[in-house]
Amino acid sequence: MFRTAFTQCSPTLSPRTMRLPLFSSKVAAGFPSPADDYIEKTLDLNELLIQKPAATFFARAQGFSMINAGIHPNDILIVDRSIEAVPGNIVVCALNDELTVKRLERENGHWKLKAENPDYADIAVHESLELVIWGVVTNVIHRLYP
Amino acid sequence: MTGSTQLVALVDGNNFYVSCERVFRPNLIGKPVAVLSNNDGILVARSQEIKDLGIKMGTPVFQIQHLIKQHNIQLFSSNYALYADMSSRVMSILEEFAPCLEVYSIDEAFLDLTGVCRQDPIAYGQRIKTAVFRATGIPVCVGLAPTKTLAKLANYAAKKWKKTNGVLDLSDPVRREKLMRIVPVGEVWGIGSRTAVKLNQLGIHSVWDLAIQPSQRIQSQFNVVMARTVMELNGVSCLALEEIAPDKQQIVCSRSFSHRLTAYQHVAEALAEFCSRAAEKLRRQRSVTGCVTVFIRTNPFNPQEPQHQRSASLKLTAATQDTRTLIATANRLLKELFKPGYNYHKCGVQLSHIQPESLPGQMELFDFCDHPSPKKNCELMKTVDQINQRFPKAISIAATGFDQSWKPKTERISQRYTTDWLELVKVKC
Repeated sequence: MFRTAFTQCSPTLSPRTMRLPLFSSKVAAGFPSPADDYIEKTLDLNELLIQKPAATFFARAQGFSMINAGIHPNDILIVDRSIEAVPGNIVVCALNDELTVKRLERENGHWKLKAENPDYADIAVHESLELVIWGVVTNVIHRLYP
Repeated sequence: MTGSTQLVALVDGNNFYVSCERVFRPNLIGKPVAVLSNNDGILVARSQEIKDLGIKMGTPVFQIQHLIKQHNIQLFSSNYALYADMSSRVMSILEEFAPCLEVYSIDEAFLDLTGVCRQDPIAYGQRIKTAVFRATGIPVCVGLAPTKTLAKLANYAAKKWKKTNGVLDLSDPVRREKLMRIVPVGEVWGIGSRTAVKLNQLGIHSVWDLAIQPSQRIQSQFNVVMARTVMELNGVSCLALEEIAPDKQQIVCSRSFSHRLTAYQHVAEALAEFCSRAAEKLRRQRSVTGCVTVFIRTNPFNPQEPQHQRSASLKLTAATQDTRTLIATANRLLKELFKPGYNYHKCGVQLSHIQPESLPGQMELFDFCDHPSPKKNCELMKTVDQINQRFPKAISIAATGFDQSWKPKTERISQRYTTDWLELVKVKC
């Protein structure tokens, strides 16, 4: 492989950080406190949504099977690969040649992938779970304004 | 530092480019997959299944058309945006495991594990391997040893022998000897095929044959670099971890064209683009160049076409990092090299005699009133770079042209899954 000079960059999408100022004093009528000029902290969505940037990937949801879990078509899912999936987690898994989103459940000693929409059937996991689980969905970004 | 206490790990991605593609296409695991060079010309990365078919690195695609059909081989154009991002993820996971890390290439890094895992280096290697795979989906192998050269060898063996489970420690001299006796000398880090032939002629066939040579003899018959290799094979560390990549002594910017170029104007535009990229690299490492080389050639894989291949260099009177000077110089060279009537396949520019940029003001002695001052030029170039960083390719020198149809072919490129919101991996709900 070619030897290259390597620049370290933030792995997740070089997110253009949006800094939102948080003012510490309450909004009140009357004379403003001189402390209002002092900005205490800026809020960064990466900090809120991403624990481990190197292991975090974004994926685009397609389909309706997870609608009752709040995942709609075209939503962006934030997926952390480093989290060990436990029953109850919503996971991305590699199934039948595609990446699929379902809720992981355990029933009578067997792993199951459950849809969050009564119109869709559950899937029993026969292979080793390690082969199937791609990552754990930690957040959904659902756009409301066109 | 004594050889016995130091511990170096080489962590190397398995078929890295292929593995990057498979992270987002898990259905391709276990199937033959290859990644193609810049212009979709040759194979630059192969999955194990491709290697098992006996297809060599660097094979031109047109030579294996029948195998591609027969075995349903999946081909990908190089997706460097994806590979670079996945690489930075792997490296950032590795940083959690060692106080000191040398990124050696896009898919391998040396870790200084001295004093980090005295109890059980193998278990530590397995932890690294598992953590990288968990976080990124990239399978890696880990070679552990007291020196970098031995760590490379350990990694080679870890990849080759399944029984190692991807992690091998060569700290033990007995185990080391056993391995070195069965590995050909050409597999040693830094020994190219020509040197290997020369060593074979001297009766040195295995790594072990080389390791038992007196380093004095090797130094007189080869050079000091080879003598160091011999010492490293004996567990004596001679090569330190380089945490900061050394500045490049040469900058090359070249590419194959997607279709053959015959017009001078088109070759000149491509060349101007390469000069711009090379100049950016030069300024990024705060250097100036004293020599510009230009090369052009037709396609050697098409022997029935008339062949033309030439290069020429020009030493600059004053070292520079100015895109405009580089383009003007490259153009002068191209005028001499270019012969009409050929189908040009590739051209490029190489900058050498690279040195750190001079202190500001040093050149002002040579300023003349009809010349903009070098300081002003420097500021202009800095501004151009800054704008281009924010808005990629927003400003280019007019000579680079607007059409740019010479850009390489990337017909089979996968999505930029991790660097473009519009190309995210799709998951079925």
